[in-house]
Amino acid sequence: MRIAFAALLASAAVLAAAQAPVAPGAPSGPLSSAAEQVYEMAKPRILQVRTLVHAAGRQTTIGSAFVVSADGYAVTNYHVVSRFALDPKTYRLEYLAPDGGKGELRLLAIDVAHDLAVVKLDRAGLPYFEFEPRALEGKLPKGERIYAMGNPLDLGFTIVEGTNNGLVDKSYDERIHFSGAINPGMSGGPVTDSDGRIVGVNVAKRLDGEQVGFLVPARFAAALVQRARAGAPLRVDKAREEVGRQLQAWQAGFYQRLEKEGFRDSTFGGYRGLESAAPWMTCWAATNADQVPKPRVSIDTTRCSSGTGIFVSDRILTGRVDVIYSYHQAIDLNAFQFAHELAQHAAASGIDGGRRLTEQSCSDDFVRDERGARPLLRATWCMRAYREFEGLYNVTLLVATQDREREALLAQLTMQGVSESNALALGRRFLEGIRWAR
Amino acid sequence: MGAVMWIEVLSRHGEVASRSRIDAPQAHVGRAFDNDVVVDDPHVAPHHLRIVRDADGALVAEDLGSVNGLYAEHGAERVPRLALGGAPGQRIGRTVRRVHDAARPGAPEKPHLRPRAHAAWAAGLAIAVVGSLLLVEWLAITTERSWNVMLLPIVAFAAFVVVWSGMWALLSHLFFGQARFALQLRIALTGCLAFLLWDQLGEWLAYGLAWRELDDYASFGVWALLAALCYGHLLSIGPRRLPIAMGIIVALLASGAAIQFASKAETRRVVGERATLGELKPPRFRIVAPATPERFLQASDATKRAVDEARKREPPSGGPLDFDPSD
Repeated sequence: MRIAFAALLASAAVLAAAQAPVAPGAPSGPLSSAAEQVYEMAKPRILQVRTLVHAAGRQTTIGSAFVVSADGYAVTNYHVVSRFALDPKTYRLEYLAPDGGKGELRLLAIDVAHDLAVVKLDRAGLPYFEFEPRALEGKLPKGERIYAMGNPLDLGFTIVEGTNNGLVDKSYDERIHFSGAINPGMSGGPVTDSDGRIVGVNVAKRLDGEQVGFLVPARFAAALVQRARAGAPLRVDKAREEVGRQLQAWQAGFYQRLEKEGFRDSTFGGYRGLESAAPWMTCWAATNADQVPKPRVSIDTTRCSSGTGIFVSDRILTGRVDVIYSYHQAIDLNAFQFAHELAQHAAASGIDGGRRLTEQSCSDDFVRDERGARPLLRATWCMRAYREFEGLYNVTLLVATQDREREALLAQLTMQGVSESNALALGRRFLEGIRWAR
Repeated sequence: MGAVMWIEVLSRHGEVASRSRIDAPQAHVGRAFDNDVVVDDPHVAPHHLRIVRDADGALVAEDLGSVNGLYAEHGAERVPRLALGGAPGQRIGRTVRRVHDAARPGAPEKPHLRPRAHAAWAAGLAIAVVGSLLLVEWLAITTERSWNVMLLPIVAFAAFVVVWSGMWALLSHLFFGQARFALQLRIALTGCLAFLLWDQLGEWLAYGLAWRELDDYASFGVWALLAALCYGHLLSIGPRRLPIAMGIIVALLASGAAIQFASKAETRRVVGERATLGELKPPRFRIVAPATPERFLQASDATKRAVDEARKREPPSGGPLDFDPSD
């Protein structure tokens, strides 16, 4: 199975970063003149955002931002300001401009689902960025040169030339695939075309690839700026409730969409199970057939994941759905040994969140759907509640078929940050979808 | 003739140190050498005690005016006269003596245990325990079949049982004079068989009834079994001071069980229940009727209530099991 590592780009406590020295005497070619012009134009419009610990008066995380209006509105990532949003008594926000200017930032609006935030500077009459109309309409051509800016690893303001590769395929969230090096600290920084107009916002990169970065499309940033202007500003002491509301709204939309995309039957050995037909539920298969020594149970596993991930705080990443089916068939184990082997694999993992969630509570039973000829199941339903956000749960449904002595389907559904009703609806569908293969 | 009596002087450990036959109707006891029974105890008067027969012919001890007086064997009160009909023992100074009337019939003969009866039992039990262990292991072996893998734990287990029985045999030797290793082995192996049965019963019922708590908490029964096992060993050593020894053992085991319970409760409080199906068995060993999907999912309401309730409590902190995987 391939694991998608996406890392957010806010930099926290970068200590003694290893620096690879550039080979002396390497020819340093002239900088792309376009990049030079873009940076020249962008320089007064980009900012570094620092989250400071109030008591110490020092930075604890850094990110970037860019000015979008003359009266001091600026856009950054939600994850750059999340510590302040969730705990405004402990932290405060400050900006640092390339000219050395400093000042307080006010948090005006957040969009947790798209990882965006709008902040306001304590000064006005600044030069600012325009949004690129082609980007707002999603018509930026693949291959166009675009420029990512920010302050990576607190090394100073930087411009990175890269390529627009359009929206990421098979992704529930709309994300632009940027081929270029973006690094921690550049989160929330602007990405512009060669005219210096905004096409996206730096947000994340893949750790298992080279120069695979992700941008939030400009239209979400433009929409949030509009919302910040039109609506009442965010009350900082109510930011946590706002995050909870947005998570609720996000999961409602996500599970509705999952339902709309539909489900299909998939065969796993002697059984069938339901799989989402959504293109962004990506599945990977694995087998133990090539194991040495020769396995005594053949196990064929299919793991499907929504690939979604919402950063809420340093401790909470939520919004993911995983479905795992593994078909076990005894090769030379008897019924007792096979049951023991199955039990060892019947353990869900992968849900964390530590104390931000309550301890887990489970219920077990044998289950059979009497309406149709369905296999007998052994199932367990486990829940953990988010302490800070009411009505949101992490739910695990673990099921094993219990009708044959030497083969079984082990099925697991994991839902992060889901309401009880959505969890029950999908759980029920999943449970009832387990049948015998035709 | 019926006038014969026997006087036994006991050692500090309660064993008979000397025994004298008295053919006279009365006997004198004291430190002086003109007594019938001479006692070397500085706390005994030269002429301390006289043993006579009363009108009915029963034996009676009389204090002859000593400083330290006369006591029943376990008595705390000084008595001038002591009838020896019921309990033959009496204490003067620091010495215990028993007077036996030759006219009284002796205790009936105890039948001799068949030689090696315990050894035969122990051998039979050992075969049963090793057989069950092998069966349990074989039913759970899912890796390569190898005798080494199966036998190693049994060898280790056998070594433990031998050391355990040897320890009790040593205690028995110290306090009872006889090691009786075979008897200790028999008791230990009976305990092992009980442990195995209990453990398996918990596992199979937890599966059959879909009752995960049973598997979690069945281990507490093991402490009770361990207490019963120690009781058996102690009883075989001898009934002396049994309540004290049992008291110590029960206190030790109870604190062990309490520590285990506390750590279990702490784990449960911090991480909650595990998302597993518990130990699985072949489906034909299911006992309870299956629920419908509706009923199963309705049961999730209780789960939701439990975690909603937990939300209101402060998150757990501190303690030896304190950890937060996200830290």
